[in-house]
Amino acid sequence: MTNFTSLTEACDAVSTFIQRSVGDPHAAGFGELALGLFAFQFAHNTPFANLCQAENLTPETVSDWRDIPTVHTRAFKSLDLSVFLETDRGTLFRSSGTTQVDRSRHFHCAETLAVYHNSLWPWFAGHLVDESANRLLFLFPKLGLAPESSLVHMMDTVAKRLAKREHCFATDGQWRIDGKAAVDFLHDCAMQNEPVTILGTAFSFVHLLDHLDANAMDFQLPSGSAVMETGGYKGRSRDMPRPKLHQAITAKLGVASARIICEYGMCELSSQAYDGKLGQANTAPRLFRFPPWARARVVSPETLVDVELGQAGLLQVVDLANVGSALSLQTEDLARQHACGFELLGRAELAESRGCSLMNLSHA
Amino acid sequence: MPEEPLDYFLADKPGAELTHSLIAEASQTLRRNRNEYLATLGNEQIISKLAEVADLWRSPDYPLRQMALDADPEETGFPREVLASGLDACFADWTQEKFFMLLTQEFGDPTRLLSFASQPNRTYSMVNGPQLIAHIAPGNLPVPVFQSIAFGLLLRSAQFVKCASGKSLLPRLFGHSLHFVEPGMATALEIAEWDGGNESLESALFSEADCVTVNGGDKTVELIRQRLPLAKRLAGYGHRVSFGYVEKQANEVMGTQTVISHAADDVVAWNQHGCLSPHVIYVEENSSLNPARFAEMLSGELEARNKTMPRGLISTRESAAISTARRFYKIRAANNASAALWESEGSTDWTVVHEDEKQFQTSPLNRFIFVKPIEHIDEVLHVLEPIRESVSTVGLAASEARMRDLALPLAQWGVPRICPLGQMQRPPLAWRHDGRPPLGELIRWADLETA
Repeated sequence: MTNFTSLTEACDAVSTFIQRSVGDPHAAGFGELALGLFAFQFAHNTPFANLCQAENLTPETVSDWRDIPTVHTRAFKSLDLSVFLETDRGTLFRSSGTTQVDRSRHFHCAETLAVYHNSLWPWFAGHLVDESANRLLFLFPKLGLAPESSLVHMMDTVAKRLAKREHCFATDGQWRIDGKAAVDFLHDCAMQNEPVTILGTAFSFVHLLDHLDANAMDFQLPSGSAVMETGGYKGRSRDMPRPKLHQAITAKLGVASARIICEYGMCELSSQAYDGKLGQANTAPRLFRFPPWARARVVSPETLVDVELGQAGLLQVVDLANVGSALSLQTEDLARQHACGFELLGRAELAESRGCSLMNLSHA
Repeated sequence: MPEEPLDYFLADKPGAELTHSLIAEASQTLRRNRNEYLATLGNEQIISKLAEVADLWRSPDYPLRQMALDADPEETGFPREVLASGLDACFADWTQEKFFMLLTQEFGDPTRLLSFASQPNRTYSMVNGPQLIAHIAPGNLPVPVFQSIAFGLLLRSAQFVKCASGKSLLPRLFGHSLHFVEPGMATALEIAEWDGGNESLESALFSEADCVTVNGGDKTVELIRQRLPLAKRLAGYGHRVSFGYVEKQANEVMGTQTVISHAADDVVAWNQHGCLSPHVIYVEENSSLNPARFAEMLSGELEARNKTMPRGLISTRESAAISTARRFYKIRAANNASAALWESEGSTDWTVVHEDEKQFQTSPLNRFIFVKPIEHIDEVLHVLEPIRESVSTVGLAASEARMRDLALPLAQWGVPRICPLGQMQRPPLAWRHDGRPPLGELIRWADLETA
């Protein structure tokens, strides 16, 4: 097992693995690296170590990365799941939420942030960057307006990596869309016949589509245009089932469904999954895939062992890029396991509770 | 009893195409049948038949009960043992005496349903039930549907029961037992199933019915309220929550094992589905039975219950809700000495979480219970202030004298039902759902003022 003596060493090892496995999805070493990070996090992340000790699953007893104790994503709301000292926590990612206790906190320092960048970029580029899309319309605030959003940070990174492409950030710090700016930008793309990639959350797309509706407008964006949509309405717009949202995007913006790619990510993770690739025929149902440095497992909620292919269960993710926090996460998402990825089935909460206003009193 | 397939109600005919005009015609037929027969019956005739139906359901050999217990839990929502116990609890109370007591409670004089009866102020009054009631049945528990049908019959109302798709089996079996005991009365009852929100079918039903009852989520009730004309009466019961409360001397007065056993009764009854089951049990501190020990003993009892009355399989979604909640409390417990978790091994069959955080917490259900320490009843009322409007039932473990002391502040605060712990899912026939009169909610009074 790799024995890391410093955070720098751990970050370097993960960044090296990322580089190696981008080109070679079967690159060896995932398990060894995961166990090394586990030992490092066990030594430096006290709340996580307490969990491991309570379950008697420690670096001494665990020899398979699948046995690393999972941390519930919701635990990021109340516990400081971090390997470094408070003084070194330069960047904080928070999940969206209405109150401070509702929001997860994922701390980063300069080194772990660099790993985050190294992780997000190649997988994003591999799925959403092709020759045809020239411009970028971000339905996101600029980084300075929402510095605690991991998603905004990611979009900022994407804009910088694609600095040669013309781009526009079209929402304010409250995530309210600047309809005029967005429309002007799209209009210009259409006039110049320049393909554009529009990136946004599901609720921002609803806002954009509503704005187009209100102004009786629609676009037939140049061939090669694309969309990256990331789920979640968070009460910021009316809910729309995903297929319906995509149909509306196709109808109102003229982007073919094959060029609408969904992203799955969260502030507690440092890697993202995508359900399709530009320029490639996408299967039905659309399956999400994480990069080789993050592995998704679908486990039976009853027994916590991996489900058979085709079965539904809870989604767990072991993300090596989570160097500074906890690499093995238990999400609240239900998924179906397929040979080449997973299908998202929604949240693991009770239907009868979902419609209940009492659920606002969520776990502190 | 017949061996032939059930074939009487619309819901008995799989694949039957329901249309707006079919629902309208069926409703008109029900109303006609009601006028011709049900409306002419006396209280004794109706009540004796209801008691007869209950007798059948209490009998272990009754074929329709067998069919219910043998059905796929997917269809009924419950494994055999849980369903059997719930049915027994429901029908135990369906005696002639209890039905008459209900009429007396609601109307003072049961004969008021048939003609004018005198009132203390020397006027006369009688009550009239709706000619046609539409029931929007809840998807989780069968008991409210059985009760709704019985209440409708007491009021001589024709009834159309709308179930969610795939959820009509238990109401149908109940309807068939009525049809067997008293075919005439059953001619005023229809049961159909479709997915809620079907504008075409529901507009037919709502325009024919005089009164609509809804048991369901708050949203369902609200949506139906918006669609009903002002003149139509709506008895809507939305989502409520309940909790248990153990007074500090309860274990000394009642015996520790009894208190634990009563708590377990409420956790396993209907696998905690429905508004009357506890999410949290508050245990008073400074007792010889401290809250953490209570939680531990309750976990032992739930393990034992799982052998005699297994929780059974639940959906992946329900199981995932338990599994994720457990995962969250495990790391919490590992980092906080005042939180602890007990769980069934290798399954999600039962879970007990003890934590000092006093805030009310909704459980993922299916035998997942929170145990929380509390200093005093006033502290509970303070902590629960944000959900004051949503509390249905409080199950109390206390001596009889203390029970009254505790009940008063609870009732004044707004709790509509206070009962002994262990009885939370066994409300008496005449209980006032959400504090409202069960029959009084549906009827209209007619007063006669004489010179």
